[in-house]
Amino acid sequence: MASMLVSSSEQYSGKSSLCLGLGVLLKERGYKVGYMKPIGNLLIDVNGSLADEDAQGIRKLLGLQDDMSSITPILLTENLTDDALMGVEKGLDSRLKEAYEKVSKGRDVVLLEGAGGIGGGAMYNLSDPEVATKLDTKILLITRYDSAQAVDRILCDLRIIQNTEILAGMILNEVSPDKLEQVSHLVVPFLEKKGIKVFGVIPEDHMLRSVSVAEIVEDLNAEVLVGASHMEDLVEHYLVGAMEVGSAIKYFRRMPNAAVITGGDRSDIQMAAIEAKVKCLVLTGNLRPSGAVLGSAEEANIPVILVRGDTMSTIEKMENLIGHARIKQEVKIKRIVELIKEYVDVDGLITEMGLGK
Amino acid sequence: MLDKLFDPDVIAVIGASRTEGKVGHAVLKNLLQGAGHKVIPINPNVTEILGLKCYADVLDVPEKIDLAVIVVPAAAVPSAMEKCGQAHISYVVVISAGFKEASLEGARLEREITAIAGKYGIRMVGPNCLGIIDTSSSLNASFAASMAFPGNIAMMSQSGAICTVTLDWADRTGVGFSKFISLGNKADLAENDFLELFRKDDSTAVIAAYLEGVKDGPRFMDVARNVTREKPVIIVKSGRTAVGSRAVSSHTGTLAGSDAAYTAAFRQSGVIRADSLEEMLDYSRAFSTYPLPRGKKVAILTNAGGLGILTADACHSIGLSITSFEEETITKLRQKLPEAAGLYNPVDVLGDAGPQLYEHALEVLLADPNVDGIIVLVSPQAMTDVPAIAKSLIKIIKTSDKPILCNLAGGTRIAAGEELLNKHSIPNYPSSERAVASLKALCDYSSIKVKEHTAPVTIPVNREAAQKIIDDAIASGRRTLGLESMGLLKAYGIPVVRSRMAGNLPEAIAVCEEIGYPVVMKIISPDISHKTDVGGIKLNLRNAEDVERAYLTMMSDVKHYMPNAHITGVQVQQMVTGGKEVIIGMDRDPQFGPLLMFGLGGVYVEFLKDVSFAVAPINDKEAQHMIASIKTYPLIAGVRGETPSDIKAMIDTLLKVSQLVMDFPFLTEFEINPLMVMPEGKGCLAMDVRMTLRKE
Repeated sequence: MASMLVSSSEQYSGKSSLCLGLGVLLKERGYKVGYMKPIGNLLIDVNGSLADEDAQGIRKLLGLQDDMSSITPILLTENLTDDALMGVEKGLDSRLKEAYEKVSKGRDVVLLEGAGGIGGGAMYNLSDPEVATKLDTKILLITRYDSAQAVDRILCDLRIIQNTEILAGMILNEVSPDKLEQVSHLVVPFLEKKGIKVFGVIPEDHMLRSVSVAEIVEDLNAEVLVGASHMEDLVEHYLVGAMEVGSAIKYFRRMPNAAVITGGDRSDIQMAAIEAKVKCLVLTGNLRPSGAVLGSAEEANIPVILVRGDTMSTIEKMENLIGHARIKQEVKIKRIVELIKEYVDVDGLITEMGLGK
Repeated sequence: MLDKLFDPDVIAVIGASRTEGKVGHAVLKNLLQGAGHKVIPINPNVTEILGLKCYADVLDVPEKIDLAVIVVPAAAVPSAMEKCGQAHISYVVVISAGFKEASLEGARLEREITAIAGKYGIRMVGPNCLGIIDTSSSLNASFAASMAFPGNIAMMSQSGAICTVTLDWADRTGVGFSKFISLGNKADLAENDFLELFRKDDSTAVIAAYLEGVKDGPRFMDVARNVTREKPVIIVKSGRTAVGSRAVSSHTGTLAGSDAAYTAAFRQSGVIRADSLEEMLDYSRAFSTYPLPRGKKVAILTNAGGLGILTADACHSIGLSITSFEEETITKLRQKLPEAAGLYNPVDVLGDAGPQLYEHALEVLLADPNVDGIIVLVSPQAMTDVPAIAKSLIKIIKTSDKPILCNLAGGTRIAAGEELLNKHSIPNYPSSERAVASLKALCDYSSIKVKEHTAPVTIPVNREAAQKIIDDAIASGRRTLGLESMGLLKAYGIPVVRSRMAGNLPEAIAVCEEIGYPVVMKIISPDISHKTDVGGIKLNLRNAEDVERAYLTMMSDVKHYMPNAHITGVQVQQMVTGGKEVIIGMDRDPQFGPLLMFGLGGVYVEFLKDVSFAVAPINDKEAQHMIASIKTYPLIAGVRGETPSDIKAMIDTLLKVSQLVMDFPFLTEFEINPLMVMPEGKGCLAMDVRMTLRKE
C-alpha cells in the first residue's frame, strides 16, 4: 500500500486542501483512498466526542466511513500536553500505528495530513518527520510562496527533516502572478539543485481564500437583516467604509467581491456599497439602517448583517476569518481539483508513492 | 399622455372616510370642492359619505373610473391596486404612507404595488405623497389644507411637507400654480414624466421643483434639454453636502450621486439651480411675472443712496453690469429730478420722491436702449407714500417689455405697498440682493433659451484595438490598468509620450539607450495609484549609471512602502519639458453616468481642487467651457506675455476621452494625469494613465 504525509512549515499553507484535492483525484483514477490526520489540533465537538475540524470535514467530503478515532487517533488536549510535560507514557506510538493499520485496510493509498507546522508534536516525539519515519511513509512539503524568504523556510524545514531520504518533494503554493516567473525560472531550479523535487507551483486563487456570508454571520455572531437566500455567496476581501461617499463608491467598485464594513448610521456608504454591488454589508455598532436602505439592498440581492461590536473589532475578526477559510463549499473543492490537475505533476506523485505499478 | 390624470371625469377615493380629520375625509372634501368631475367614495363599511353613494369596491362602480386616489393603510394597498387593475383604471394616486420610506416591509409592499401597476399598465403617482392639484381643471386630489390659486407655475416636490409649506406661503402672497404635484416615493411616475407633461401644458409657463435625486439621469438630461428651450425649469436639489446626502440615502434608499454631477447636468441641460426653497420661489415668481431681459445691463432706481450702492455691489459681484445711460436719458432725468438727485446709475430720486418722480424716472430709463432690466428700491421716509408709489410701479410693470424688479425695503411701513403688489401678482423682494439674484436668473435663462445643443461629432478611432486591450485585461483578471495600457489612448488618437517597458534592470538600461537620454522611469504596478508617494517616479535620468541607481532605489522604496504591490516592471519615457500639466479624468456617477473632469495638474491640484465637470458625451463647446471655467484658466491661456497653451489640443483630447468612455461602459474610472500641454500649435502628450474596469 502506498502513502504520503503532507506537511508544511506553517499553518494555513494549504495542507487540507491538497489532501482533499489529491484524494478526489486519486479516487477519480480508481484508487481506494484512505485519509488520516494522526494528530488533531483543531478540536471541535462532534456528537458529544472530540474530533479535529479539518479531519472531520475531509472525512465527509471524501465520503469515508472510518471512525473519527482512527482518522485522528491522537487529539492534542490539555491533559495530553500536561502528561507529556510530566513525562507520563501514554502509548501514543502504538495508538498511531494501530489506527494507521485500520485505515490502511483495503486501501491502495493513504494520505496523511500533518498537524500545524512541520515540527508540531515534537514534544510527544510526533513531529511530522517522526510520524513519517514511524509509519514508513514519505513527506510531501507544501509551502506558501509569499516572498524569497519562503526559500529560507524550505531549507530550514529540510534541516528539521534531517533524513532527506524521507522527503518525496514539495509544492509551492499561492504564488502571486507577478512572482510566477521568478519562481519557475529561479526558485524551482535552485531547489532541484539542492535535491528537492518540486511537484508543482500553484498560483494564488482569491476564491479559495474567500468565506461565505454564512461563515461571516457565524463568526461575527451577526443578525441577518436581509438577504437570507444569499448566505452561500462568497466574499474574497473586506473593505472598510469610513471615507466620504464619493471616494467610497470608487473604492468599492474596484473590489466587488468584498464585504463592506461600516457603521449602521452611514446610509450614504451603505448605498454606495449597494450601488457598487458588493457581496455583503456588515453594519456595526448595533445601529439598524433605515427601511429604505434595507429595501434597496434586498432589491439588489445584497445581504445586510448587523453586529453589536464596533467597526474596529469587526475588522479584527474579519482579518482573521478571510484567508483562514475552511473548505466547505462544493465550488471550492472543484476549484482545488482544477488547480491540482493543472499545476501539479500528479502522475509524478503517483509514481513517487509507488502506486500504479 | 397623463391627460386624464389631471382632468378625470370620474374619480374614486379608495379609503374615503366619514370621520373629519382623517386623510380619507380631507381628500374627498377637497375633490368635492372642484368642478367638472364626479367623485365616488369607496369604503366597504358605509353606504354614504358627504351625501355621496359609497361603494364597497371599485369593481362595483358602474361608471368607468379614470382616476383612483388610494388612502387605505399600506398593507391594504396591493389588493386595492389589483382591483384598480381589474376595473381598468388607468391612473392611481397612492397617498398612503408606510412604504419604502418607512420600513423593509414597506419597501417590499412598494415593489409589490409597482409590479401590480406594471402588470395592468396603471400609471401611479406616489406612494407616500400629498396628492396632485390642477387649477385649470379644478382638481384637488390631495389632502392639502387649501386649494392653490390659479397661475402659470407648475410645481413638483419630492417632499410632501415642502408642498404644504409652499401652498401656505402662496396663500399669503397670492402666487398661483397651474399644477402642483407631490412626487412621493416616485415608484412609477417621476420628475421626467412630469417635465414632459409641463412642457406641453398650455397653462404652465414656469416649472419649479424640489428634488432629492433624479430617477434616471441620462433621460432627465434629454428631457430637460428640450423643456428648457421652451420654459424655464428651476430646481432646488437637496443633499448637496456629505451630511445632506447621507440623509437623502437614509430617507429614500438611493445614492444621490455627486453634487458636482448634478451641477454639471443641470448646467448642460439648461436647468436653473436654486440653492434654497426661497430662491426657487423667488426665481419662479420672477419668471411667472416678467418678460425676459435682452441682456445683462441693469439700471438701479432708488430713493436712498445706501440701498443703491448695496444693489450696485450685488449686481457687479453676481455678473450683471451696471449700465451707462445715453446722453438723452440723463438730459430727460435732469428735467424733472431735483438738483441733488443722482442722475447716473444708480439713479437716486432722493428721500422725499413721490410717485410722479418714480414714474418719470422709470419711463425715461425704460426708453434707454442701454437698459435691459431695472431694480427699483423704495425706502419708507416720513414723507414717502409707499402705496401710491406701488400703484405707479404696478401701472408701469404691467405694460413694460423689460423686467422691473421691486424691493420695497422695510417692515410695517411698506406692508400696504407690498400687499398691493401681491394683489397684482408682482413680487416684492424683501431684499435688493434677492431682487438682483432673480434678475440674474432671468438673464441666464435668456441665454439658455437660445443655446443650441448639437450632438458631438463622432471622431474616427480604432475601436477594435481599444476593445482588444480591454478584453485582454478582463480575460487576465486585471481590474486596474496603468501605463501598460497607453495603447488604449493611441487607439483613440490621443498622442502619448514615447515610451518602452522593461521587466528588469538590463532591459531598462537597453530601452533608455534606445529612447535617448534624458529619460523618465516609472514603476508599473496595478496596485500603485500614487507613484510619487512610493518613490515610483524618477525624472531626468541622464545616463546608464543614473538609470541603474534609480532602478535599484525605486524597487527597494516601492517594496518598503507597498510590500504587497504586484510589480510588472518599469516604463521608460522620453523626458518632456516646456509644457503645462493638466488632468483629464472620468468617474461614473451613479445617477448621470460618465462625469468628465478637467483641471490644472501638478502638485497643488489636490489642494486647490480647481476642476470643472461635465457629463459625457460632450461637444466641442462644452469641452471649451470645461477648460475655460477653471479658476486657473489664465495660466493656461497665458499670463503676462506668455505663449498660450494649445487649447485646441486639449479640447480635442477631451472629446476623444468623452467618446472613449461612452464607447466602453466597462471603464468605471479613467484619468490621464498628467496630460502635458505644449504651447499653441504644438499639441499635447499623455504622460500617464490610470483606469479601472468593472467586472460583472
